[in-house]
Amino acid sequence: MRIWITAIVAAFLVTAATARPKNDVLYKTAEAKHFTTAEGVELSPAFVDYFYAELRAELTKDKLVSEVIGEGETVDDADAPKSLVISGTITEFKKGSVVKSALIGFGAGFKSLKMDADVVRRSDKQNLCVIHVHVKVDPRWNEKVMAKGAAREMVKEIRKALTEGQKPAA
Amino acid sequence: MVLCRTSCRALGVLLAAAAVAVAARSAWADEPKPKPENTISIQLGEPVPPQKFSRPVKFWVEAVTDRSGNPQPMLVMKERGGVFLDKQPTAIVKDAIEQSLKAANLLAADAASADLILHIYLFHFGLAAGSGLDFFGKVEFSTMVKNTKLGESQEAKAIGTSIANGAVRKKNIQKNVEEDIEGALHDAIRNFLRGQQLKDAVTALAKEGESAAPAQPAEPAKPPLG
Repeated sequence: MRIWITAIVAAFLVTAATARPKNDVLYKTAEAKHFTTAEGVELSPAFVDYFYAELRAELTKDKLVSEVIGEGETVDDADAPKSLVISGTITEFKKGSVVKSALIGFGAGFKSLKMDADVVRRSDKQNLCVIHVHVKVDPRWNEKVMAKGAAREMVKEIRKALTEGQKPAA
Repeated sequence: MVLCRTSCRALGVLLAAAAVAVAARSAWADEPKPKPENTISIQLGEPVPPQKFSRPVKFWVEAVTDRSGNPQPMLVMKERGGVFLDKQPTAIVKDAIEQSLKAANLLAADAASADLILHIYLFHFGLAAGSGLDFFGKVEFSTMVKNTKLGESQEAKAIGTSIANGAVRKKNIQKNVEEDIEGALHDAIRNFLRGQQLKDAVTALAKEGESAAPAQPAEPAKPPLG
């Protein structure tokens, strides 16, 4: 009996220790816009569409905001101060090289994607943070997998920046 | 010797023809066919509450035109025996918009009594190319909002996306695809009904209507010539 109780308590402790911290809802709405591509970036419009969908899915999953709205949707004036608009640009894309990746390894020849994003408050257009994301993936992988990774990384960075921004100054 | 060479050639041709026939037959057999087991029904579910307009307006959905260029609009997914829609995408989109407008009391009884007529051009409905690890649902359309009295029209675009988990079992694939497309449809309808473009179109057409309206009674006040 004692062994069972000990085991259950231990299981509870392990679960509590490994549980992810609960993400707080920081804003009411967030509007993600389609990212633009800088000159010389050879990515299809389908990639931009997919990244937009992934970014919205990641924002919903992360629970950074109560509601993720589509591009160009209206927001009540009362909700505007607690609403975000996320826009950005894909600044660099390198296709990578399968040969380099196979021969050299250690990340050489990987596909690389760099993007910048601006997070703006809807009511007064104040820039809350600027995010830079750099993602590298194996050149054999589909470029949409890269979009998935980039969206996840971006939401993580936005949460980090906004949480730090909301902390009272020491 | 010559006879042997000729018969060898004939045998070769026969074998090649047989191979082509087998390949064509297997390709024909792989072409998915709509059956009750592989057909899904896309529903909007909860109607989308539209935004509030500056003045009360009534809409009428005139038509939905398919501009996707897809020869098989009801075939959503070709792999694994195929997944089909039970209705044409144009009918699904029309129903969804009408359902939402009706719930908010913004749907006119007929075209004659409507303030604004909507003509929808559907560019994409169903799955789009994703990462391969999940399903990427996308619904995209453009609407011409036309003022019946003035004959003026404005455009409002809408896009809805959804990402659903991938699946291995056929049953789960169908379930996830259905949820994914429903999510994208809901998103697109919301993007349209709550979009700034629709708001701007309604405001502009209402303004034009107001500016045109006082001009008409002023005309009879003019003294007759001569």
